[in-house]
Amino acid sequence: MLEILAQAVINGLLIGGIYALVSIGVTLIFGVVKIVNFAQGEFVMIGMYISFFLATQFGIDPVVSLIVSMPALFIIGVLVQHFLIRRVLGLNDMPQIFLTFALSLLILNVSLMLFTANYRTVHTWYSDEAFHIGPLYVPVAKLIAFVLAMVFSGILWLFLHATDLGKAMRAAAQNRDVAQLMGINPDRVFAVAFGVALALAGAAGSLLMPFYPAYPMVGQVFVLMAFVAVVLGSLGNVIGALVASLMMGVAESLGIQFIGADSGLIVVFMLLLTTLALRPSGLGGRRTR
Amino acid sequence: MLKWSMLVLGALSAVMVVLPLVVTSHFALDIFIRILLFSFIGVAWNLVGGYAKQLSLGHVAFFGLGAYTSTIMQIDFGISPWIGMVAGGVIAMVGSLPIGWLCFRLRGPYFTIATIATAQVLMLIFLKFRNFAWGAEGTTIPNLGHAPLMMQFETKPPYYYIVLGLLALSLLITWVIERSRMGYYLVAIGEDEDAAEAVGIDAPRVKRNIYMLSAFLTGLAGTFYTQYIYFIDPGTAFNFNISVEAALVSIVGGIGTLWGPVIGTLLLETTSALLQSWLGNSGGVQVTVYSLILMAVILWRPTGIMGFLVEFYGRRARKPVRA
Repeated sequence: MLEILAQAVINGLLIGGIYALVSIGVTLIFGVVKIVNFAQGEFVMIGMYISFFLATQFGIDPVVSLIVSMPALFIIGVLVQHFLIRRVLGLNDMPQIFLTFALSLLILNVSLMLFTANYRTVHTWYSDEAFHIGPLYVPVAKLIAFVLAMVFSGILWLFLHATDLGKAMRAAAQNRDVAQLMGINPDRVFAVAFGVALALAGAAGSLLMPFYPAYPMVGQVFVLMAFVAVVLGSLGNVIGALVASLMMGVAESLGIQFIGADSGLIVVFMLLLTTLALRPSGLGGRRTR
Repeated sequence: MLKWSMLVLGALSAVMVVLPLVVTSHFALDIFIRILLFSFIGVAWNLVGGYAKQLSLGHVAFFGLGAYTSTIMQIDFGISPWIGMVAGGVIAMVGSLPIGWLCFRLRGPYFTIATIATAQVLMLIFLKFRNFAWGAEGTTIPNLGHAPLMMQFETKPPYYYIVLGLLALSLLITWVIERSRMGYYLVAIGEDEDAAEAVGIDAPRVKRNIYMLSAFLTGLAGTFYTQYIYFIDPGTAFNFNISVEAALVSIVGGIGTLWGPVIGTLLLETTSALLQSWLGNSGGVQVTVYSLILMAVILWRPTGIMGFLVEFYGRRARKPVRA
């Protein structure tokens, strides 16, 4: 019993690392640009397809293809911010919510036309390998994904706290007008925030590829997880999103283990709804005003 | 001015009533029924999402509750869907109380996310409980042939008239609300909730009431749809796309306007029908076009087609005055 529990916790933590990459991106965009990016999951999906094609066409390992997917998504992020998001900043909720929502629908359905709904998998030499620690086992592919996810989160944290650009981003997140008076160019800061957030989504996609199938709807699971994590971990807070993501990975995994195979999502949603019920101030939802 | 609009409305109603007598093609009638149904759902959504700007993406929760209530009553207890439809609306209305209690704690995008989550939870619940409501397989509605008392017909026109009646009802309700104290409260909340509360509007109560009304109407749509397609399962009754389309038709047509959802549905459903006849039922094309239209509206004309029309005719109407 204890072993099953420990195994479920390990599985949950490992996948939680991926959730963390997605939710840190969402929370970064929300913190800095004050936009909820409904399309974040679709960018994970783009990252997966980039790695899938590099693996099948050129035999490049999905983890190595990070060096393509992350810069590619950084550029997409800058373009999305510049040509789309910039135009709805400062407007009311409707355009802000439905622009990224429309973007999500667009990317998803164009992918459906291009790639069909078929599952695509990449099989690497480590896809089926696992470390055995006593009765427990740790799948290699998931461990690589988790470790790199933690490394990227750490680098982002250092970037935000130790570099001028990172500090400028945090300043813009705290107070856009004052930051502008201090000589910070908000357009540039927003573009970098969007680019970095999407690069993290791209990293999540590449890291998932050795053990998770790519299909056009794949992003929806991750974006829902990210929203829950971002709400739980208090909005705009990178560490909060990280911790909440790991917790949710574990909660989902325990749900699958002890309630049933398709119960993971119920547990996570219940977690969200219970939190909302218990913390009536809305966990910062009011900050959008 | 009022006389003119009454005339136009009268002519339009007459056309809508005689339409099934002129058009007999099943394909065309099916499209008309879809347009009327989604207009109806859009008008129901618009009460909450348009006037009060509570941008729900979980309205399918009420659609599904309505659909399941009438179907369970019909199959397990032999009760007519006519009664089941009203019961379904009431259940959806009751369901809107806890859902609203949870979701209205949040504002802006987090309200939207919470509504998505509640609708998903409902779908997962109906997927799980197979001894209660057929689980994932769903069930077909027993076909009784021509049975008007059980809301079953062998031809399409009766369905057309039912959903036309529902749409007319919802438009009338919206028209009345627009002109009532409630309507002004809703718009005030939509503009700035804190300011609305500061001038003494009980925002939580107003939002709860309009949410209940919207849920009731959406529940009726659920029953109608299930009776129309003779089938129910969690995937169709709680299909996320219905939530999306309810919001989309209102935004494209003109958010927070009486006719916006109808005009939006006309545009989107006609486009979708044309695309389907050109390209077949290929996955993704329809929603791709929807999302492009939605983006175009958001970026260039956030007031939707209604906003465009008002501006256009406003400009033309002013000209003679200047001359």
